[in-house]
Amino acid sequence: MLFERLNLLVNSGQCLAVTGANGSGKSTLLKMIAGLVHPTTGTIHVLGDGRQLDIEERIACIGLVSPEIVFYADMTGVENILFLTRVRGLTCSLEQVEEFCQIVGLVVYKDNLVHTYSTGMRQRLKFAVMLALQPLLWLLDEPSSNLDADGKILVAKMIDNALTERKTVIIATNEPWEVEYADYKIELA
Amino acid sequence: MVKIALGLWISGVVYAVFSMVPAVEGLGYLVRIAFFHIPVAWVAVLAFFLSAGWSVQYLRTREIQYDRKSAVAAALGLLFCLLATISGAIFAKLTWGAYWNWDPRQTTIFILLLIYGAYLVLRASIQDEEERARISAVYALLSSLTVPFLVFIIPRFYFSLHPEPVLNKVGKLEMNVVMLYVLLAAVGACTVLFWQLFECIVHNKQRSV
Amino acid sequence: MPTTRLNLLNGLWAVLVKDSLCEFRTCYALSALFMFALISLTSISMSIGVVSLPAQLTAALLWIILFFCAMSGLSRVFVQEQESGSIVVLRIYASGQAVIFGKLLFNVIMLFGLTFFVIPLFTMFLNVDIYRWPMFIMILFLGDIGIAATATITAALVAKTQGKSALFTVLTFPILLPQFLSSIGATTKILADSQPDMSEIMFMAAYNVAIIIASSILFDYIWYD
Repeated sequence: MLFERLNLLVNSGQCLAVTGANGSGKSTLLKMIAGLVHPTTGTIHVLGDGRQLDIEERIACIGLVSPEIVFYADMTGVENILFLTRVRGLTCSLEQVEEFCQIVGLVVYKDNLVHTYSTGMRQRLKFAVMLALQPLLWLLDEPSSNLDADGKILVAKMIDNALTERKTVIIATNEPWEVEYADYKIELA
Repeated sequence: MVKIALGLWISGVVYAVFSMVPAVEGLGYLVRIAFFHIPVAWVAVLAFFLSAGWSVQYLRTREIQYDRKSAVAAALGLLFCLLATISGAIFAKLTWGAYWNWDPRQTTIFILLLIYGAYLVLRASIQDEEERARISAVYALLSSLTVPFLVFIIPRFYFSLHPEPVLNKVGKLEMNVVMLYVLLAAVGACTVLFWQLFECIVHNKQRSV
Repeated sequence: MPTTRLNLLNGLWAVLVKDSLCEFRTCYALSALFMFALISLTSISMSIGVVSLPAQLTAALLWIILFFCAMSGLSRVFVQEQESGSIVVLRIYASGQAVIFGKLLFNVIMLFGLTFFVIPLFTMFLNVDIYRWPMFIMILFLGDIGIAATATITAALVAKTQGKSALFTVLTFPILLPQFLSSIGATTKILADSQPDMSEIMFMAAYNVAIIIASSILFDYIWYD
């Protein structure tokens, strides 16, 4: 058992930080909210307009950045972004995708196949996807892992923007500066 | 208590088969194999539908007990199916000289054997309990969907390929009253035997959990 | 807070395009399919020489080749996603129905492509004459959809198991059997220069419809935890 008796409400425009040692279940909690893992007991409610969303509506408002996200290695960065936006039912023009790549610092590599990317570049691509999808609920699991100093600044800027735009952000991390953003903190033992 | 009654019932049936059932024209005393073959074949099919039914229950309620029942029914079903296939082949050999000729009934029981085998192999290859329950329940339902199609296509396919079919004569037997009752008693005994084995195994599994 | 429902057609199309693009670049499954078809056809042809086989046997050989080709290549749609780890991304961002229908369509197209390649070689290598092409194409069409539909749902089942490829064939065969037998029966009639009954065609179509609907309903149970 990883954790029990977690009871929390996070509203839009707010940020929750989940901290804890390795193996304490931070990633699992985020995966539960994303709908990838079923909690043994208890429920996760994602509410929109005051009512419980079903699984398909929940998919439509979540974005996840996590070490477990693996892109399609045989497609380029741009193609990956386009695929994920289309499968979500959103339309994104090539210019917009280029702009997102510009923001995350990938514009030089955007037309290279993902299997040539370094781990830092893949992490940036994950954020480009978040920009393209503009989800209402941001789930960030160790967002600045594999990133250099520039990358960490980028992450800070993105979290700031998300909160300004009244998105809900949940971060699983042990980095103190990321925890700073949080309105709420929970520590998993 | 039930076990004693069952033991008596089975002994009664075996006695009846050997002493009361008359020799059938053309088959002689070989018809006795039918009194074993038909009940086990019936139980094999019953177990299949029970397993599928519990799979539906599992998918609806997600209670693991339904998955356990489904698995035990399938395991027993495989056993009975194996017995049915072998007894059918022996009967075929003794009466028509060939163990296997792909007539509709033999084909159907063989396919049931394949489905059971596939289901159990699938179960054996997934470690996580809940995932195993879900995946095997889906497979059980998928295979029970094909049963009506099989029942329709196999006789057609067989008859289009074999112009002089070697039909299972037991199906065409004119049963006299005694034989019919003994057969029903045998079917009943077999069903109760299945039920007893099932309860016993499920009980043991629940205790070990 | 506005919520959007995922559009099935868009999602389906996106999955299909993505699979096609990746497959086109790697030829992972395509090469398996084509090589298997070529090898089996040539080995049969080499061993029988100029002998003309009875219609029944030829029909059975055709569908056996198509079936085993399918078994060598159609599981890729889910197994590769699972092995490379990209299935997580699909689980989060795509709806189950878009995934199953997109991948089903992909497998159907792959199998059609393979059949298109196999049939001329088949007629050449096995000295087969076909006089009723429209009906033959219809039977190939229905049979292929049956194989692809069954293979797609069983691929989803084996994706997370150990020992995937052997299990894939073992699971698919019993379910596909009715369609397999009807395809062979109908093809036998074509090769013997007679017409299959309408009822046989309806049977094959009904099977396809049943499998596709069942896949759609059952897939959500596999896909969502």
